[in-house]
Amino acid sequence: MSDVTLILRIFVAFVRVGALAFGGAYAAIPLVEQEVVTNAGFMTYSEFVDLLALDEITPGPILINSATFVGMKLAGIPGAVAATLGCILVPCIVAISLLFLFRKYKDTTLVQSIVLTLKCMALALIVSTMVKLGMNAVMPEGSTVEVVRTAYVMAVMCAAFYLMHWKKLSPLPVMLGCGALNVVVTMLGM
Amino acid sequence: MPDMTQGGEGLLRRLTALFLATFTISATANSGYAIIAVMRDDFVNKRRWFTEDEMNDYIAIVQSCPGPMAVTSSMIVGYQAAGLLGSFAAVLGVIVPPFAVMAIVTVFYQAIVSNPYVTVFMRGMQMGVVAMLLDVCIGLFRDATKKSLAYPLVVMALAFLYVRITGCSIMWLALGCGVAGAVKALLIRREVEAR
Repeated sequence: MSDVTLILRIFVAFVRVGALAFGGAYAAIPLVEQEVVTNAGFMTYSEFVDLLALDEITPGPILINSATFVGMKLAGIPGAVAATLGCILVPCIVAISLLFLFRKYKDTTLVQSIVLTLKCMALALIVSTMVKLGMNAVMPEGSTVEVVRTAYVMAVMCAAFYLMHWKKLSPLPVMLGCGALNVVVTMLGM
Repeated sequence: MPDMTQGGEGLLRRLTALFLATFTISATANSGYAIIAVMRDDFVNKRRWFTEDEMNDYIAIVQSCPGPMAVTSSMIVGYQAAGLLGSFAAVLGVIVPPFAVMAIVTVFYQAIVSNPYVTVFMRGMQMGVVAMLLDVCIGLFRDATKKSLAYPLVVMALAFLYVRITGCSIMWLALGCGVAGAVKALLIRREVEAR
């Protein structure tokens, strides 16, 4: 397979992932697996598992990370560019189209009512993610609930919320603080 | 075109601010929601480019789009702040850090994956993300329930159950919500006409 064909195939695979990835990173991962491992055979399953571990510990949106990683492994920098651009193509077009519709008709009852309903949906989606992340912090990888760990996690979350909501601290330093605190606590052997 | 004069900042400053905001968050956190919280803090609380309610409108639109939330929210907020150039600057800010990080990491990822401290650090950040999401949720809830309480609560409950129980694509949920909103608008109109 020539380089150009390969890069085109990477691009198309990630256009599909981007277009279908509704509902955040957790919904996108099975799509990446389907396109990259099952359909295209770009990677073996064990390479894909490495990718998941990397996604978890590297900064940046998970879908972009995955795209860059797969593209990079298959065809170097051009592959990574093709994969990244592929996965943002459809989302960018959809986002800007919806925004235009919203800007044009935002004063009509119809659009206001639709946006209100979508806001409620957004809230439900965020709460769902929040529950998932919270549970994952309390019991990582399906381990059992430990009283000390749960209390520690809850305390950190409450403190972080207090700092952001009432003290109006920026989210970024609070998040980095949580990360650093977790390293210190783990090193102290708790 | 969006109004670029409000807040008294030039276009270049706006573009720089957009790029820096998305760049810094993309270089540190790996949750799309984090970017929404950071944008809200930076553009609503500090720079006052948008009101809290406008930001909530954008969140609703973002949640109806496919793809990485970080990219779609940058696209929308960037456009509202500085037009297409704004979108470009914000999206570029999102994709450059993961690109650079992954390009390097791909070469020696075994060493990074097996380093326990990296994992522990990212785990710790997740706790911060949960707190941040709670903050975003409170803002959204206040906004959505401003006019009435019953309808928003029903939609929230149904949407939550859909996500947690069915596991079907969010695309159908977004379409369903769109239809529900349209039906509600028609019912309101009929009620008004009947009077």
